[in-house]
Amino acid sequence: MKTLLVFFAFILLQSCSTGPLGGDLQKNLAESDKIYGKCNNPNRSFTYVQKKICEDKVRAAGPDGVVGDPIDLTEIFDRSDDKKIIYTGANSNQFLWNGALETLSKYSLKTVDSQGGFISTDWILEEPNPNQRCLIKINVTSRELISNGVITKIICQKKEADVWYSSNELFLEEEKSLTLKILEKASQLSKVDSLS
Amino acid sequence: MKKLTLAISAIAAAFGAASAQADVSVSGSGSAAYINDASSNAKLNVGQFVSFSMSTTTASGMTISGGMGLSNTITTNAGQAVTGGQTLSFATGGATIVVGDVEAGDTPGSVGGVVGGQVGDNGGFNSKVEDGFADDDGMGLSLATAIGGSSLKIVYVANDSADTLGTINSSTSGHDAVTSASITVPMGMYTVTAGVADSDSGESSSGASVAAALAGGTLTVGYSTQTLVDGTSDASSSDLSTSGDTTVTGATYAMSLDADTSVSVGIQNKKDADNDSTSQFDASVSRALGGGASVFLDIRSLSGDTTTDGSAIAVGTSVSF
Repeated sequence: MKTLLVFFAFILLQSCSTGPLGGDLQKNLAESDKIYGKCNNPNRSFTYVQKKICEDKVRAAGPDGVVGDPIDLTEIFDRSDDKKIIYTGANSNQFLWNGALETLSKYSLKTVDSQGGFISTDWILEEPNPNQRCLIKINVTSRELISNGVITKIICQKKEADVWYSSNELFLEEEKSLTLKILEKASQLSKVDSLS
Repeated sequence: MKKLTLAISAIAAAFGAASAQADVSVSGSGSAAYINDASSNAKLNVGQFVSFSMSTTTASGMTISGGMGLSNTITTNAGQAVTGGQTLSFATGGATIVVGDVEAGDTPGSVGGVVGGQVGDNGGFNSKVEDGFADDDGMGLSLATAIGGSSLKIVYVANDSADTLGTINSSTSGHDAVTSASITVPMGMYTVTAGVADSDSGESSSGASVAAALAGGTLTVGYSTQTLVDGTSDASSSDLSTSGDTTVTGATYAMSLDADTSVSVGIQNKKDADNDSTSQFDASVSRALGGGASVFLDIRSLSGDTTTDGSAIAVGTSVSF
């Protein structure tokens, strides 16, 4: 009973982002993976099958550690339209919405929620930087064509030892530029619409 | 993919839309190899593994995961089995706790093996040196947590005769508790891992390894001492004639030749309480072919006090699906 109480108390304490003892376990594990290899890292726990798959995956990936994502059953059995994740919410201004879609037209989109006015791209990987990826999310928050009716956010991750971590960077200028671009396109669409 | 799903869920939550997203994924691998074992027997070996992983994240950010697996193990002819489903893990930013069938680290500091199972398990070697506890796993829990830049792992096996249902602190003979603790500490250019383990059976161990970057690769040296019990630790092999310490010293060196080719070598010397000793040399080369496939060459040479020694070699391919 005492062991169980200690166990559940620890879970509650460790629900904080870093736990009571400080430090980032995932970051530490990534560092020790570089020394011992992910499959032989004494601080990780594997079942027999998981360890064999890990060893084969490490061999298949090679020293550069590039290996594809596993098959995602959730995605395979996702019956939603075009496998997009749909959330419901308020209506959004059509010019801001179309301006946002046009601005992101060069990227593949993961989430397109016309009801809620929310768009998110897939992770964007650029060839020169295979260890960094970003996504853009846009929320059209207004039914009116107003300058503060769009919220833009850029999120980036970096890869260490085959694991992606948040880069914790702020992209305020880039987000501002993107918002201005959407407003510009929305304004153009509105003018075309008023002339027709 | 899981991270992407989680990221999208987080975005939705930020905009006020509630969504619970569980993540189910499957991964697998297979291997085929030609083996020439220590007795010069030519063998063909095929194995495949499938792992189903399930996880979900609570509102507080704790990720709870479990899973099961299918295997056709490489160590047994037609050894298909369903495995897993015996642990549940709870992970936060600061710690990972695993409940269920956990394994204690009973050979801390023991390094030197670099070959895969095709040679390590199917090489046909039979040493007279006894090492490792008689039983190091069972029903219990493990905790891995960070202390600044250091990682601490504590394992408590409450009953080594049970996996998912058993009595804690059982008084039944053979139902032993095993405890182990290890810590990994970065010290400048070195990384030190030290550990201890203890079993109710009377077995105990301690050891440490030091790793450092050297000449484009990683050199790891280690020392382990294990106090073993005659008749218990060697219950299946009868390698011991007296209780006492087994010592293991070893070193490995691993490096990459290019973005796709890995080379590693290892040496390991063991000596047990009745003065049996062995020397082992390992070498492994693997090259990724792209698309999840790789080819490998593993070699092990064993000499000393053995029933079967010599050299074994395996050439094969492994595929990650």
